[in-house]
Amino acid sequence: MAPFALEGIHVLDFTWVAVGPITTKYLADNGADVIKIESATHIDVLRAAPPYADGRFGVNRSQFFADYNTSKKGVTLNLNHPKARELARRLVPWADVVVENFTPKVMRAWELDYEHLCRIKPDIIMLSSCLQGQTGPQASMPGFGQLMAALSGFYYISGYGDGDPAPPYGAYTDYITPRFAAAVLLAALDYRRRTGQGQFIDISQYEASLHFLAPALIDYFATGRVLKAQANRSERYAPHGAYRCRDEAGAERWISIAVGSDKQWQGLLEVLGNPPCDTRFATMLGRLQNFDALDGFVAAQVKDREVWELTAALQMAGVAAYPVQSCLDLHQDDNLEAFGFWNWLEHKEMGPAPYMGLAHRLSATPGQLRWAAPTLGQHTDEVLREMLGLSAEEIEQLRKDSALI
Amino acid sequence: MGCELLKGFRMLDLADDKGATCGKIFADMGAEVIKVEPLGGCPTRRIPPFLNDRPGPDTSLYFLAYQAGKRSVTLNLECADGRRLLTELVRKADFLVESYPLGYLESLGLGYQALAAVNPRLIQASITPFGDRGPGKDYHAADITIWAAGGNMYLMGEEGRPPLQISLPQAGLHAGAEAAAALMIAHYPRQSTGCGQHIVVDMQACIVWTLMNAQAFPIMHGASMTRNGVFSGALRLKRKMVFRCADGHISMLLTGGAAAASVKALVEWMDEKGFAADWMKRQNWSVWAPGVISAATDQEVEQIKDIEERVERFFMTMTKREIYAGGLKRRILLSPVNTVAEIAADEQLAAREFFVPVRHDIDGAVTLTFPGAFAKLSATPLASPAPAPRLGQHNQEVWGGLLGLSARELSMLRASGII
Repeated sequence: MAPFALEGIHVLDFTWVAVGPITTKYLADNGADVIKIESATHIDVLRAAPPYADGRFGVNRSQFFADYNTSKKGVTLNLNHPKARELARRLVPWADVVVENFTPKVMRAWELDYEHLCRIKPDIIMLSSCLQGQTGPQASMPGFGQLMAALSGFYYISGYGDGDPAPPYGAYTDYITPRFAAAVLLAALDYRRRTGQGQFIDISQYEASLHFLAPALIDYFATGRVLKAQANRSERYAPHGAYRCRDEAGAERWISIAVGSDKQWQGLLEVLGNPPCDTRFATMLGRLQNFDALDGFVAAQVKDREVWELTAALQMAGVAAYPVQSCLDLHQDDNLEAFGFWNWLEHKEMGPAPYMGLAHRLSATPGQLRWAAPTLGQHTDEVLREMLGLSAEEIEQLRKDSALI
Repeated sequence: MGCELLKGFRMLDLADDKGATCGKIFADMGAEVIKVEPLGGCPTRRIPPFLNDRPGPDTSLYFLAYQAGKRSVTLNLECADGRRLLTELVRKADFLVESYPLGYLESLGLGYQALAAVNPRLIQASITPFGDRGPGKDYHAADITIWAAGGNMYLMGEEGRPPLQISLPQAGLHAGAEAAAALMIAHYPRQSTGCGQHIVVDMQACIVWTLMNAQAFPIMHGASMTRNGVFSGALRLKRKMVFRCADGHISMLLTGGAAAASVKALVEWMDEKGFAADWMKRQNWSVWAPGVISAATDQEVEQIKDIEERVERFFMTMTKREIYAGGLKRRILLSPVNTVAEIAADEQLAAREFFVPVRHDIDGAVTLTFPGAFAKLSATPLASPAPAPRLGQHNQEVWGGLLGLSARELSMLRASGII
């Protein structure tokens, strides 16, 4: 078997919820040893968030948590207890990287902030990712990605432009930041290998996410123009949108279509049986300038078509099209299947389930979801015994002292 | 200022809007990123809107934003000299990112195998809409169709109206950032083995990763989430997540449990102004999380309706700014639905000096304001944004300086339509 790309990297992982765990998951699935520190006294909120295996709640039953914490070991340390903090400090020399995404005061209170970690291990790399960054008046703002996705502008530019916004589902920005965080963390590791120099990385979820809004921000600063929600209107493609097809099994089916040239437009018309249409639609400019009328035309033409049949025909005709897929559809999608996206893993308590795989594949050292997420404290004894050399009696005593919950 | 992090590493960027962020992230981290553009320019130069609504090869705001800090050379790959020059460039490169249709570069003899033969250290990322193996591997795609294929579109919009994409297309931005992470993963072992490899990025899969785990609901709970406008949350239970206020909207998590202190603080604030109901003042919010642990009771459904209505009436008495300030003071989990104008004026971003001026030369000198570093690094600060290149701006420097072509050769290549 090929070795993993990141074998030998040691990660001490204090993260919770989404941004932190997804960042360390990039490392864990690629072979890094990741020890996730959690506590029942301050549970990772995703452990208490649906979906649950068989729809039944339990701290070890959330797929939300499971999907983001594969290939990691789980240790419970009650870091409000001095003995637990001491154990955490004893793990620091082992670590190349420490990652956390609490509000900034938390690690300081535990004396596990960068300054303290450096005293134990001067070349440590620490990445902290809170909502708004480690400094500034709003540094301590608590909250989840729903708030950040609104704060950073994505909710405002989502909708039909005629009323309330229609935001992306939930904590959208939680899924932007980890890609940046993983890239920069690995660059910092390589830099340390070349120079011996560790460092502290402060990644604000707000700031990283704003890079996905950059053209609109530059535009505003230059001209004062404020980007608004504009449904599926485009200045590049027409038609461009989602169009309802024939219902299947009582469920709505929609197809997404984007046409960016006369040739593609001719292809679309042929697939639709060359129906008579407005002469204004004959040119690209005409289509772009009569976007809404064109939208109505396409909608009327596709309403009785079967969505996959229409997709295949449009693709044959050179037109970008794909069904608007529900979450159930994703599990039956031939392209995701062929990429090997769904990974069935056996979880100690949840049993087998399809996990989201990596969105990329390396040819020589491919990553792998090595094992399902740890149950709460699953590896506590193992880590304390094997890595810190604690005896069964010592562990027992720590447990009695409530240091290991 | 350059960044020391990846100083000395070189990336060839042959990606369009399916992966422009990849090279941008590498440029930010200090790598030398060379955009290899067709003679007509990278398609991202044509993405609207344009600066001051003046379309031109150097005024696409998308291009300015995501090609910032890169160099530009022009090259016609569809001729023998062009292929040879790319191969020569690959010899001197560490990374390559591309997003051509599957098989296009292979058809020119420039596929990964051919390039790795001249430079075994090369790490190449190929960004593909639907992967390299499935029935859709050659599918035509646009950002919106990938957004739809990956499941995000289905969850956006109002019932009875079409599903939506975000009004600034996002799929390509995700794919580029994913490619950057994947390239850095492959870079790590190369530093000891000297061996490069080929990476395939699947854009559809990148979008599935934005679904906040909604993808697991049909498996675990037997049903898919649907689009619900400003409502979201637990299955079969509509929870409002965006509330109206005097001048716009507020996003708020209105549930107890882990967020009990937040709801309690909100209710106290509402009570000060006479908007709280009696039951809300008596409620133990640490156990009020309808639909999270188990299905909501009839009483909880009534309570949801009541509190959501009251909160909205309360918020209608204030502006976004007032509510955000009050929320921060009381540690309530809420935030304003910001416009870019409000983001531009945000005091937190100002305190961190996030936005930075960048001098450009586009029909004369003009200073544009850019989002700054995506992270703050203590030892190797990321590079300050630099202007995006004009088409072929670095032809002389790269073809002449790096590959050692003579002025005469450059003239002949230009005359022949190769650079």
